[in-house]
Amino acid sequence: MTFRALNHAHIAMEETKPLARPCAKCRAQEATLDSRSQAVCSDCFAKFISTKCIKQIAILGKETRVPGHGPPPPNTAATGDTTSARRYLVGLSLGVSSSVLLQLLNENIEFQLARGRNAPFELTIVHVDASSSLSLGSQQQQSDNAAEEILSKYRQRYPRFDFRCIPLSAALSLQTIDWTALTPLTLPDSHPSKSPAGRLSELFDNLPSAASRTDTLRLFIRHILISTSRLERCQALLLGHSTTALAELTLSETAKGRGFSLPWQINDGALPVVNYSSSIKTNSPEVPAATAAAAAETVLIYHPLQDVLRKELTTYATLTSPPLTALISDLQDKTIATSSSAVVSHKDLSIEEVMFRYFAEVEENYPSVVANVARTTGKLLRLDGTAGGENTTTWCGMCSMPLDEQGDKRWRGELGEEEKTTTTANGTAATGGRLCYGCERTTLG
Amino acid sequence: MAPSLCAICKTQRALIKRPKNHTKLCKACFISIFEDEVHHTIISSELFQSGEKVAIGASGGKDSTVLASVLKTLNERHGYGLDLVLLSIDEGIKGYRDDSLETVKRNATQYDMPLKIVGYDELYGWTMDQVVETIGKKGNCTYCGVFRRQALDRGAKMLGIKHVVTGHNADDVAETVLMNLLRGDLSRLSRSTSIVTGDSRSEVKRSKPLKYSYEKEIVLYAHHKKLDYFSTECIYSPEAFRGSARSLIKQLERVRPSAILDIVRSGEDMARLVPGEPSPSSVAEDDSGGCGSQNGRTPGNEMAAMDKELRDNQAFEGLEIDVTKTMPDSKMAQKEKLWDLPLRNAGSKGVTRQVLGNCKRCGYMSSQEICQACTLLEGLNKNRPQIQI
Repeated sequence: MTFRALNHAHIAMEETKPLARPCAKCRAQEATLDSRSQAVCSDCFAKFISTKCIKQIAILGKETRVPGHGPPPPNTAATGDTTSARRYLVGLSLGVSSSVLLQLLNENIEFQLARGRNAPFELTIVHVDASSSLSLGSQQQQSDNAAEEILSKYRQRYPRFDFRCIPLSAALSLQTIDWTALTPLTLPDSHPSKSPAGRLSELFDNLPSAASRTDTLRLFIRHILISTSRLERCQALLLGHSTTALAELTLSETAKGRGFSLPWQINDGALPVVNYSSSIKTNSPEVPAATAAAAAETVLIYHPLQDVLRKELTTYATLTSPPLTALISDLQDKTIATSSSAVVSHKDLSIEEVMFRYFAEVEENYPSVVANVARTTGKLLRLDGTAGGENTTTWCGMCSMPLDEQGDKRWRGELGEEEKTTTTANGTAATGGRLCYGCERTTLG
Repeated sequence: MAPSLCAICKTQRALIKRPKNHTKLCKACFISIFEDEVHHTIISSELFQSGEKVAIGASGGKDSTVLASVLKTLNERHGYGLDLVLLSIDEGIKGYRDDSLETVKRNATQYDMPLKIVGYDELYGWTMDQVVETIGKKGNCTYCGVFRRQALDRGAKMLGIKHVVTGHNADDVAETVLMNLLRGDLSRLSRSTSIVTGDSRSEVKRSKPLKYSYEKEIVLYAHHKKLDYFSTECIYSPEAFRGSARSLIKQLERVRPSAILDIVRSGEDMARLVPGEPSPSSVAEDDSGGCGSQNGRTPGNEMAAMDKELRDNQAFEGLEIDVTKTMPDSKMAQKEKLWDLPLRNAGSKGVTRQVLGNCKRCGYMSSQEICQACTLLEGLNKNRPQIQI
């Protein structure tokens, strides 16, 4: 799966036959692709994509070298393992972006091994399987074992990596979600007779709309990835978001009222992890305010494909040998169907799907605009919502982002809205933790 | 099926499903809650002072007509003590303004308010028809928008009025938030959601009391109050970019009705996150929406122009070295709270802050030495049509 750019260049130089349209980068091969207003050959294109990814991985490599960031590599003391190999967790949706990410990371390892070096990092790959417990309207996915079947193909192709398939219902037992804040939707322990999958689908049935269900699904998957990453003592969580996906996320979260926490959501870096173990009733994170940084529970989240457009990843997936498209064909079909099929009812659409359609068009015609969106949001400040630093930060029980006390107060004042006294469907008042504006929208409508 | 009753009075039949949150209301309750909400916005933002003379920017369209009607009602009901005046701008577009100005004239008698019409020819020496004659239809909305922005202020000044209210609604504000995110314009993002624009340096204060009102509710209010308004698109406005922020907002509204307000909320919060902006209340030029026309608000070529500009910038990017990107760690490790850490990119490529001054020619507030209007006028007067802003 290495690219034969050098070989090709060599051969081409010996040949004297002039090229009809030489690649703008190597000038040695026929250009077959248009990449960012340049005609390039497929080797140069693949190299370009790979460089974009490896550049980010190198930044992460420096970050994870710093002591105090994340837990130490696993078993270093016990086994006397001298390799200071980094260990990352990759979220694999089985879609184009995360599959390409996997491919690029694998290539990077092979490249290093071929040079007689150690592997620069170890990977744990996690797929969160929503299909076995949920059927989400237009997001309808495959039948029960489909995810495992597809994963086995990935295992064949990348035998080096450890692949896990975690059911979405695992979210129900996570302590990073404040279940007391979600009591209007479900009490996870109230129906011990029901299976986790049954309780999960009950929770999703109680959500007010398709938009809310998709939003909750995304948050639960994120929670599972973060928790697994900590459990596996990985130093960072890698997500496959492309430039386009980050732009979509930016506008989607803006549309859901989560503008305040956007910089926390889309930028690379350390995120605090809040733990609501059942013994602790307060909503404060298990973080001693200003003591040792090592005690702060954080997770590093990185988006190595943040500088690559989605359409470039789709092209890249066809260029590897064998093409990645065989692996992800089902999901690609799904993606195409989503983008081109006529909207039947807006009620069944999610905000994410609206943004997906919008950016498919913008990316096609105005790629630089897409790149600009994520870049711009990256400049916004991460505030912790304490407004002056007197109070300690309070975190949203569902999305784990800081609550914006100042914004909430002003908003209630300007709109004359009462503080939402959350009552459950059967009328009992909820006493639990708090949610941010966006999560209130999602859970209560 | 029994007809459902109004969710507020529980006695009348519900005839209206509120676009904002889909509650079912009777006509009277809808009108009263719409007015109450605008009243609340006015009171909580302390928009007005008793005895203040306020000009309503009136185009004859639904937004400004509803604004005039609601303000008149609230002024009488709650004793604001306002002296309300209608102020209209005549761009000098034959066949467009002729009719809408007739509407404004009727509104003036219906609401018993004085009306002042100021023409572009009076203010700038050019009517829009003359501008189009010179530069053609392409890009003329830029001229119209820039001229219009100042026209209300200049007109108010002529009348000795220090406060102009405009009919910008929640949809307009949400659109501006999304457009500024797409544009990557954080400076404007931090200003665009403020209810009051213009600070101590400007002589005229601008505000938008309908900032939280849904466009659809404004239409419903106008319909049920049987208001006399005019709806025709400007004959010069071009076909808008198909996937513009406007149509995006309409789709989001269909998926989740609260989305428009949620975007406004996000925009207000993000204004506090813009680095280097002291507070969102000290604001500069009002830049929401060029004209009252649906199409004119997002000129068709804006996306393309923006894309090209960004591409051009990218060509030079390779020559820069982002210092923070190559050495992020040493400083970061020393901080106590990890989530207080500066982001890799934050600050380094900081947001360009605009310093507000006054135009040397006309005295209108401007971040440039010469304001946009005077620059455009200079071009027109030299008969040189294409000027990049």
